[in-house]
Amino acid sequence: MMVKKKLARFLSFRYVLLALILLILAGGLVMLPKVEKQEGIHAEQLLNKAISTERYVSTDELSDKIISQDPSFILVDVRDPQSFNEYSLPNAVNIPLRNLLDEEYEAYINQTQYDVIFYSNDNFYADQAWVLGNRLGYQNLRVLKGGINEWYNSIINPTVPNEQLAAEDFELYSTRKAASMFFGVMYPEQNRVEEPVIEKPAARKVVPVKKKKKRPVEGGC
Amino acid sequence: MKELEKVKRISISSTLFILAVLVGVLAYERPENMYARNTKSTLEDLTRLNYIIPMDKLDSPDVVLVDIRRPYDFEQGHLENAINIPAAEILREENKKIFRKLKDSNKLAVLYGNKIEEANIPFLLLYQLGYDNVKLLSVNNKYLHNSLITESADVEKPVANIRAFIDESVRNATKKEEVKKPAVIPKKVIPVKKKKKLPVEGGC
Repeated sequence: MMVKKKLARFLSFRYVLLALILLILAGGLVMLPKVEKQEGIHAEQLLNKAISTERYVSTDELSDKIISQDPSFILVDVRDPQSFNEYSLPNAVNIPLRNLLDEEYEAYINQTQYDVIFYSNDNFYADQAWVLGNRLGYQNLRVLKGGINEWYNSIINPTVPNEQLAAEDFELYSTRKAASMFFGVMYPEQNRVEEPVIEKPAARKVVPVKKKKKRPVEGGC
Repeated sequence: MKELEKVKRISISSTLFILAVLVGVLAYERPENMYARNTKSTLEDLTRLNYIIPMDKLDSPDVVLVDIRRPYDFEQGHLENAINIPAAEILREENKKIFRKLKDSNKLAVLYGNKIEEANIPFLLLYQLGYDNVKLLSVNNKYLHNSLITESADVEKPVANIRAFIDESVRNATKKEEVKKPAVIPKKVIPVKKKKKLPVEGGC
């Protein structure tokens, strides 16, 4: 009986102790969230991703994708609506940088089905959109390297390579030129070429026929 | 006795629970770099504040230039009085200390790289971590003939009006075609060749 009593007293005391400790800990848990909740991935992780150039898509790659009707990506123009309306890439969505995190656009950039290619005039604002989106853990975000300006310099108005350059440069130029025609640019020779093509064979046809007639004449002489 | 065992079990489990909580609290680790701004407020600041400093406003003594290029580039040539903190290393403890010190002494840390787009990333990251004394210098640098050439950069300035360029190309293409048509037609006349061949025939 004595043992039982002692044990019981001790145990009831322990309960109070346990309850106290639990209360203190619970209080501590209430204090913890006071440290501001961290949004998104760790800064070091974000830096590592941002330093790498993996996110960049070149203008040549992009024009290839558009021409071959690759369905795996969506284009997001982060410039203001005015610039967007003036000129933008085919089928692009306009999400001005300031509205990037608005709820109505979240469905475009926070999904895993498509690659999202951001672009602006250069890749300055597009990179900013990329950094913020990546911090929030959005997947498959890419950036058009050089933006619209590079698009103009390489695809819309490609520089004609000078004659000393390698054959690849000429190949690249003709690919880009063909691409630029796809995107609406017209070249003077584009129209001119067609007619001479018809004329020249006609001229050739006439001449050989005459020569044949003349040869027998010569031989006869 | 049964009751005693129940009590025993409860006390053991509650001790375990407390232990688990203690371990959790001790192991609770704050991330090494704490963001001071969330993405929404960062974005708002980006569109509202001016964080780009032109070259000619650098004279203030409260400005410290930070070169974010690799040490190799830095040693080849850099802007006067700049310190080198490569972009990949901005989160190192000693480098963060530098930025913290600058912030505490109310100085501006102005970042630059080979292109302003390059300095953009470290700037944005530092800004989100709370270093709002960090700005961007609007210059592009390139290394040419053993010297660093620094040009002011126009951020996001369009190089051309593409819509106008395309319209112009279409207009040119259709116009020139009409002009050249008459010029092409005379080429059809080849009788010149006939004349040359006739004398040959005659010679024979």
